[in-house]
Amino acid sequence: MENAIVLRSVTKSFGAHRAVDQLDLTVPSGSIYGFIGPNGSGKTTTLRMILRIFQPDSGSVEVLGNLQGTTADDRLGYLPEERGLYKRMKVRELLTYYARLKGFHQCREAIDGWLERLGGTTWVNKRIDSLSKGMAQKIQFIAAVVSRPQLVILDEPFSGLDPVNMETLKDAVLSLRQNGTTVIFSTHDMEMAERMCDTIFMIFKGKKVLDGSLDEIQARYPANRIRVRFENHTEEFPQLPGIRDIQRVGRYFEFQCLEIAHSQSLLKSLLEQRIVTDFRIVKPSLHDIFVQIARPEMVNGELLTTNEVST
Amino acid sequence: MKKVWVIAAREYRTMVATKTFLISLIMMPLLMMGSMVLMTLLKDIGEVKHRTILVADASEKLLGLLQEKATIHNQRIEAQAAAAKTDGADSGSDSPFDSANGELYTLQATPQSQLSDEQRLEISDRIRDENLYAFVEIPAQILADPATMANTTDLRVKFYSLDSSIASARQWLSQVINELVREQRLQAKGIDFQLVQIASQPVPVVNMGLVNRDVDGQVAQAQEKQGMTDIFLPLIMMMFMFMVIFMSSQPMLESVIEEKSQRIAEVLLGSANPFQLMAGKLLGTVGGSLTIFAIYIIGGWFVAQDRGWLDQFPFHLVPWFIAFQVLGVLFYAAIFLAVGASVSQLKEAQSLLLPVWMVLMLPLFVWLLIVRDPNGPLAFGLTFFPPSTSTTIILRLATGQTIPLAEILIGLVLMIVATTIVVALAGRIFRVGILWQGKVPKLSELARWAFFG
Repeated sequence: MENAIVLRSVTKSFGAHRAVDQLDLTVPSGSIYGFIGPNGSGKTTTLRMILRIFQPDSGSVEVLGNLQGTTADDRLGYLPEERGLYKRMKVRELLTYYARLKGFHQCREAIDGWLERLGGTTWVNKRIDSLSKGMAQKIQFIAAVVSRPQLVILDEPFSGLDPVNMETLKDAVLSLRQNGTTVIFSTHDMEMAERMCDTIFMIFKGKKVLDGSLDEIQARYPANRIRVRFENHTEEFPQLPGIRDIQRVGRYFEFQCLEIAHSQSLLKSLLEQRIVTDFRIVKPSLHDIFVQIARPEMVNGELLTTNEVST
Repeated sequence: MKKVWVIAAREYRTMVATKTFLISLIMMPLLMMGSMVLMTLLKDIGEVKHRTILVADASEKLLGLLQEKATIHNQRIEAQAAAAKTDGADSGSDSPFDSANGELYTLQATPQSQLSDEQRLEISDRIRDENLYAFVEIPAQILADPATMANTTDLRVKFYSLDSSIASARQWLSQVINELVREQRLQAKGIDFQLVQIASQPVPVVNMGLVNRDVDGQVAQAQEKQGMTDIFLPLIMMMFMFMVIFMSSQPMLESVIEEKSQRIAEVLLGSANPFQLMAGKLLGTVGGSLTIFAIYIIGGWFVAQDRGWLDQFPFHLVPWFIAFQVLGVLFYAAIFLAVGASVSQLKEAQSLLLPVWMVLMLPLFVWLLIVRDPNGPLAFGLTFFPPSTSTTIILRLATGQTIPLAEILIGLVLMIVATTIVVALAGRIFRVGILWQGKVPKLSELARWAFFG
């Protein structure tokens, strides 16, 4: 199967509110696809349509080769953002229940395997409410993947994890891809999305605003920041043409240009005033791009996003 | 269907394999039948109380007779107390020792037969200091012919005490004084009191059941009905039905609220559709309710066997009870499920459930009227009002009176139809509500979900 998910002109409204608007999306099989977008942008609605929890008002949702229906697909695994666990159930009992709900009845070996891999063999008879947040998050992850789904949807999987556990879980997610599982990974952690995702998709106000590899996205958003280091410490700069903003980042200064063409004149001006030891043009990060799209700006007394300003 | 069973199995385990379930099994009957159990316990631990009562007998004719009556009463009470101690709770007596009447009376005359206000105050203070129990004022004209008196208020006997108006001592005195006055009045008219007593001897009217044919086709003798059984068996059966419905529906509410607030519902709906989820939950709940029924019925059978009450054990009600219980549990569990899906916290559910509780409890408020007239208009009306059908029918059947089979069958069909409609509407509310976040929906909104999805 070439594509795990194909959404064609999908629209979903709740009353007067249009949560998803004419959305097209193709997620190739075996990839890690990052879903980003601010709160209330239509991300969860899209995920719920993929999970068959919601039906679209119009358009089509094709998941693992099946067009939309009302039957939940056992080949999908889902990890919701935090929670999602019965607090009074024991770990094995809960994982067995979730696996059986997916039609995977001989699950004992798989549960033990995952618990061992994520360092949780001693929790097997513990109640969920006695686990730490990190432990519970790992159990949540196992619940999503224990039935060996072909497509896994992870909503903020690293929430509440310390760096060591985060690495463990990251390796687990990457191993899923190695086994051919398609992973949809919804997050607000842009750095993690940059590090893990093959493709990134951003939804904003129900519409797709980004879709492609990080390189492709960055190519669409040209660099406009220049990172400079001086030999002598300084805080004051004279008026510099074409510079919108200056920020100190550690031992560097970041100059935000109106256009990257201003970089040459900036270098010339700085060299006239100080000794420059480092001068580099920085590609926009996913974080920068996200903020650029979603940050509201004041226009004619109204808060509008950049997206709205440009349109 | 496999998913429905998986969900039902978890729901069932969650319901019955908890300490709360075990505690509820024990506590619910105690709470429901609390007063009856308490009275039984008090009966066993009852002790004889001594009451000293001052009597101001202005007629100067009754005190001596009253003291004689008190002596007879005290001897009877002491004999009963002794028998109760020897034989334990089961004394075998026709009127077993009852702590409510376990009072010994000492009647003493006041220094003057007519009391002044100061004397009344002084005796009242002695009662407040607990040196006395009560004092009584008997008017001088108590034996006068009431027909010749202009004002019968002069005939009133006044009983002064700290205790309530239903105190045993006042009741005993009232009974004894009236008996004595009646005797005196009859003698004054030249009528033999002994003859009157013989003539007034009541004739027992025995309450019999109807005559039936037995399994061999022979006409079986009618059974004498037990007064207490006639009243308490219907009450117990109705409370039993109420308890089973309550104990089964309440966990459903908590379970759905947990699944919604903890976002478990999203995971479940990613694995099963709303119909499967709801069907599994209802099936598990019905299984739990049948377990409650089985535990109580087996427990009841053992108690009945131990006490020799097996002939009064309502075996004939069991099939009807199961049928109406299953429908009643489905009916209310579906409502609780819809309410649980519409709210985020238990306290938000309370206001939505208040009218539901009122309707479920309706037969509990009028049970005595139904027991008195099991085929009357009230019983008839509540039988065909589906929220009350299960409890009302079982209450009517347990009275032992003949309830037309057609009425029971119509009630059953009506209940099946009503339950099907409620489950279908609850399913629509559940589907929308379980993913609904934010404020509690208004009733109009719930109606919109129910009828338009």
